[in-house]
Amino acid sequence: MNKVLLLKFGELFLKGRNRHDFIKLLKTNILKKLHGYECRLEETQGRLVLSGYQEQKEDEIIYKLQQVFGLIAVMDAKEIDTSMQSIESEVLNIDLGGVKTFKVSTKRADKTFSMTSMDMDKHLGEIVLDKFSNLKVDLYEPEVTIYVEIRNNGKTYIYNRLHKCAGGLPLGSAGKGLLLLSGGIDSPVAGYLMAKRGLEFEAEHFHSYPYTSIQAKEKVIELAKEISAYCGKIKLHVVSFTEIQEQIHRCCDSEYMITIMRRIMMRIAEKICEKNDLGAIITGESLGQVASQTMQSMNVTNSVVTLPVFRPLIAFDKEDIMDIARKIGTYETSILPYEDCCTVFLPKNPVIRPTIKRAQELEKNLDIDMLVRQALNDEEVIEINNY
Amino acid sequence: MIYLDNAATTKMFDECVQTFRTYSCDKFFNPSALSIASMEVTKNILGTSKFLLEKLGANVGDIIYTGCATESNNLAIKGSVRNGVWEYVFSSGEHPSVYNVAKKLEQDGCVVHFVPLKNDGTCDLDELKKVLNEKTRLISIMHVSNETGALNDLVEISKLKQKFCPKAILHVDGVQAFMKIPFKLSQTSVDLYSFSAHKIHGPKGVAGLYVKNKGALKELFQGGGQQFNLRSGTENVAGIMQLKTAVELIDVEKNYEKVMHLKNLFKDALNVDGIVINDFGGSPYILNLMFLGVKGETMLHALEEKGVIVGLGSACSAKKAGNRILQELGFSKDEIISSVRISFNAYMTESEILDAAKIICEVYADIKRRVQ
Repeated sequence: MNKVLLLKFGELFLKGRNRHDFIKLLKTNILKKLHGYECRLEETQGRLVLSGYQEQKEDEIIYKLQQVFGLIAVMDAKEIDTSMQSIESEVLNIDLGGVKTFKVSTKRADKTFSMTSMDMDKHLGEIVLDKFSNLKVDLYEPEVTIYVEIRNNGKTYIYNRLHKCAGGLPLGSAGKGLLLLSGGIDSPVAGYLMAKRGLEFEAEHFHSYPYTSIQAKEKVIELAKEISAYCGKIKLHVVSFTEIQEQIHRCCDSEYMITIMRRIMMRIAEKICEKNDLGAIITGESLGQVASQTMQSMNVTNSVVTLPVFRPLIAFDKEDIMDIARKIGTYETSILPYEDCCTVFLPKNPVIRPTIKRAQELEKNLDIDMLVRQALNDEEVIEINNY
Repeated sequence: MIYLDNAATTKMFDECVQTFRTYSCDKFFNPSALSIASMEVTKNILGTSKFLLEKLGANVGDIIYTGCATESNNLAIKGSVRNGVWEYVFSSGEHPSVYNVAKKLEQDGCVVHFVPLKNDGTCDLDELKKVLNEKTRLISIMHVSNETGALNDLVEISKLKQKFCPKAILHVDGVQAFMKIPFKLSQTSVDLYSFSAHKIHGPKGVAGLYVKNKGALKELFQGGGQQFNLRSGTENVAGIMQLKTAVELIDVEKNYEKVMHLKNLFKDALNVDGIVINDFGGSPYILNLMFLGVKGETMLHALEEKGVIVGLGSACSAKKAGNRILQELGFSKDEIISSVRISFNAYMTESEILDAAKIICEVYADIKRRVQ
């Protein structure tokens, strides 16, 4: 008998001819995640099997696997050579102390095995009942389900615990984008959700020293580290926005301050994308959350770029976003009270329905190309890898 | 670097470093052990307590050593709470380590009164009078405000206590006053007085609570029963001795005069349009400045770039929480976010003060030009 981890992946099945590539990528990601752990990873029809690891590290390994997109569950299983006798004895070995109801669920991939899945369920159920007379079978809501998977490779896997994983698609299967990372609650969550759909990304942060603090930048680095556990290596581009903000403040209507700021941020983002071969811009915007996130505002800021802008939180309530932030561990960092870039020159009454025409008029007062170029020249790049 | 955030913490005296060595490497014994060497250490701690009581001007009482002033304040307040229909009185200008404990008592169902502040930042004694009665169990009022430097009159407060609720316990958070403001506990009815080492050039991680009647206090946690069972846990011997060293080196009266002079020098040098000096006339060690049209945090960062370190007090979270104390004093939101806390120490030179003032004026002019 060997202790192994059975890894279950979801949507990859649907990907037709790409399936092979997806699984290959998933395996690469798993091995990256488990870098430093001794283990073996093999594929058997629709499952990955992780074995050869130190048993006392199992909890740590499961914790790490739960951060790998593409996996939907991890089961800590016992692997035995297929035979009725060994299956029976392993099933009877399962600790059912304190349990009142159970069921057995058999999957027989190996059609040469003598009994059908249903017959096995009944048979194994009976021998469990014989041994533990106080137990009852409940097919609908059992406290414990004993899973028996009889595989083609001559092995049977027995388990009764499922550890839910993050789901989604393997990181990297959808290409690479650029996340605008502000330091608030939303943008790390946006990055997480896009990574869940397989998109890797680099990140961009705007700071306005001395209007914002070094701590605000450190906070963003910390956030990038936190999501990097799910989203892989992140190249963080830190761009100074001080000069640009001061110029906008001097030359433009205060109510359009944020609109123009965001238009320039998008332009800088697109330049970074061009330079680094990134195919989309990701933001944490949510419709109607603040003045700059109305439909009209998004239209005006979107109109300066041609790359697709992904806004995975567009229809999320703040509460729902906060729930995800707590789940992925970014919430506590996000609420640290440092000034972020957007609040320093915050006008009292930002425009809610800006127009492209007016924004373009105001921008005539600025040498935008020069400002963008200058900001990019002073860009600082920080490599973050906490995968 | 010119450091003007001494209310946050101070630079440790070199002599304290030496003391740390002595009591960590030579006389490192556990005071609770039975060896003669341990007994020597116990005597050193007792000697320190006696010395501190003298410095506090207390004729009776003991010193309990804690890990920080927050712990001292928690011990003082929670250790005085009793079952029954008691009432607890706090000034609304208290530091979070008192204020949030009071809020917690309120949540837990105790009757808690918050006494408003007067325009000069001190606790309004007319209002205090109104809430004191025979049910008052505890009065907790800070000596010097960490935000404004406002100085509460402990003698007057003591008189009110004696008149309206002689049995109540009077706790004073003295963190910004200890070894800075000349006073004698014996002239007051203070029962509990919190102080901290790192605000007076001693180490972090050591603080104290003066306790007049240790029978009236309950411990926060259980353990080996050290320090009259009021604060179990092995005493931070080196830290306590460093605290003593720091106190030995300080001449309160002389320092007070010197800092008063430095503060006036500083104020005169800041004669610039747009810089509002809020001097509440209390402790000379703390001054509040407002930079009209510019955020305090922006000033802080820009000043640090020029080598001047200032503080924001609890205004650092102006965006989220607002500064409770300045709000209480009636300042507008814009004024509050433009404020910076300046705090001096007695070992600064006149030229440092003048340089700092000059840099502050220049930086303010520069930022004002950029944002307006």
